[in-house]
Amino acid sequence: MKHLRFVVAAASVVFILFAPDAFAEKSARRPESPKAPVSRSNAKSAGYAGTMTISADKTTLNNGGVITVTGVAPAGKPVYLEVWSNDTVRASRFDADVDKGTGKRPYRFYLTTEMPAYYKILVPEQMKEKIEASKKDGKKWSLSRVLRETGADAACDVPASIKIDRYQATLMGSIVGSRGTLLDPMDPKEQKTRCLQLVKARFRSLEKVVGADIKINPDGAFRAEIPIRSGLAPGQYKIAAAVDNEVRSNILTFENKISFPLVYLPNAGTSVNVFGPFFLTLAIVIFGVLIGAGGGFIMNPLFVSIWPLPHTIVAGTVMPTVLFSQASGIYNYSKIKFINWKLGTTIGLSMVAGGFIGPKMTELITLDQFKFVFGWVLLVLAGLMVWQTTPGYLEKNKKEQAILKEFKKKAESSAAK
Amino acid sequence: MIVEFWGHEFKVNIFLGCIGGFLIAVVSSMFGFGGGPFMVPLMTIGLGLPMYVVVGSSLLAIFFNTLMGSMRHFQFGNFDLIFFLVMFPAAILGGFIGPQIAKRISPLMVKRIAAAGLAILALNLLGVY
Repeated sequence: MKHLRFVVAAASVVFILFAPDAFAEKSARRPESPKAPVSRSNAKSAGYAGTMTISADKTTLNNGGVITVTGVAPAGKPVYLEVWSNDTVRASRFDADVDKGTGKRPYRFYLTTEMPAYYKILVPEQMKEKIEASKKDGKKWSLSRVLRETGADAACDVPASIKIDRYQATLMGSIVGSRGTLLDPMDPKEQKTRCLQLVKARFRSLEKVVGADIKINPDGAFRAEIPIRSGLAPGQYKIAAAVDNEVRSNILTFENKISFPLVYLPNAGTSVNVFGPFFLTLAIVIFGVLIGAGGGFIMNPLFVSIWPLPHTIVAGTVMPTVLFSQASGIYNYSKIKFINWKLGTTIGLSMVAGGFIGPKMTELITLDQFKFVFGWVLLVLAGLMVWQTTPGYLEKNKKEQAILKEFKKKAESSAAK
Repeated sequence: MIVEFWGHEFKVNIFLGCIGGFLIAVVSSMFGFGGGPFMVPLMTIGLGLPMYVVVGSSLLAIFFNTLMGSMRHFQFGNFDLIFFLVMFPAAILGGFIGPQIAKRISPLMVKRIAAAGLAILALNLLGVY
C-alpha cells in the first residue's frame, strides 16, 4: 500500500514526460517537410500554365493584414483566387446524416492531417449576393454548393489533393474506442466533396472560407485586397489564381510572422496571445477552488467560445493539466491515511473504462453538440450548487465538516507520531 | 462491499458506485472536465458514505479517469503541447492562490454567485440568448 501512493504520484509526472512520444499516433504528427498540400498537376492545365501572371504588394505580413494581389486574366472571364497556408492541422467529421440516396445513416468518420491551417477562396465581387444567399442557410451552408454557384469549384485545387482517411464506424467499435475499419481511398470526385465538408467542419463559418473580394476590369485586369485575419498560423502562405480548369496562374508565396506574446498552438492551428489563456486559466482555477468544482467545467466552454479552438483540442489539453494537482492531493491525503484504497481503486477501475471510451466520443460530435451537452451539464452543476446552499444541506454539512475536521486532526497527529 | 475507514465499517453498494463512476467518467473524459462535483454526491447520497470517507477516495477514483482520459486524448491527437504549457503553470499557481482566498471569504456567497454564473453560461451555450 505504501508503494502505491508513490506510484500514483509519479504516474502523472511520468505521463507528462514520456507519453508524448510513447502514444503519439503517427498520423497526428505534422509532415516533416513543409509540403504544399497541392499539386497543380491537372493534365489539361499543364500546357496553359503561366498564361496568367499575378503579383502581390508584399511578401511578409505581421500577424495578419491585407495583401493586395493584381494580375491580368483573359477579358470578360471571372477570376478566382485560392489562398492557403503551408502549415497543416487535423480535421475530422463524423457523417451520421441520413443519406438522401439510400435513406440510411452512413456512420462514417473522415479524418485528415493535411488540412491547411488557413484556407480561403476568393471570388469576383459580383458574386457577393450568391454568398449572402448561402449565409441564409445558417449552419446548414454547403461549401460545395457555394463553389458550384459561383463557378469557383473548377479553381480550387487544394481540396482535391488532401489525403483523407475514412473509417466505417460501428456502435460497438465506438464503445470500445476504435475508429472503425479503414475504407478504401475515395475517387477524386468524392474526395473533393468530402474535403469541402472537412473544410467546413474545420473553419465553421462561411465568411472565413469564401470572400467576394476580387475587382475585375472589363479588360481582364483584376485586383484583390485579401484580408488575412490575426491569430493565424505563422509561416508560408500561398496564393494562386485561376479562371477555369485551363487558365491558371503562377503560385505566389508570402510569409505571416507572429511574435511574442503571440504563440502558435500547432495542433489547434491558432495563434493566441499567451496572456489570454494564462490569466483565464488562473482566474478559473482559483474560482474552481472556491466553489469546489474543477476548472474544466468553466474553462472548456469559455475556451471554445472565446478563441477559435477545436473542442477536441480543448478537452484533450485541459484534462492533463489537473493530473498534477490531483496526484498531489492524493499524496497529501494518503500521508494522513485518508484514502480508502479498496473503495477508490474499485470505483477508479470502472472510471478507467469510462475514460477509455469518452475521448473517442469527443471526435464524433460537432462543436455545437459539444456546447449543447455542456450547457446541460452546467445547468445540473448550477442546480447542485444551489442545493448545497439550502438550509437543510448546510445543517447536515456543518456536522459532516466538524467530523471531517476531527478525523483529519486525529489522522494528522497519528501520522506525525 | 464492506469499506473500513478509521475503525468504522460501511456497507457500500459497489455495483451502483461502479455504474455511476463509469457514466461520470465517460461524460467527463468526453468533455474534458474532472468529475468531482458529480462523484461526491454519488458517493455521499448514492452510496451513503460520510464526507470524510469520500473526500480522499473520490479523488483517487477520479485520478484514474483523468489519467486514462488524458492518455486517450493524446492518442487521438487531441493534445496541444504549447497550449498545455501555457495553462499548466497557471493551474499550479491557481492551486496555491485559491485556498488562500477561500479562507477569507464566505463559501455560501461564492456558491450562490457561482450557481448564477454557471446558469448564465449554460443558457449561453444552449443558445437561449
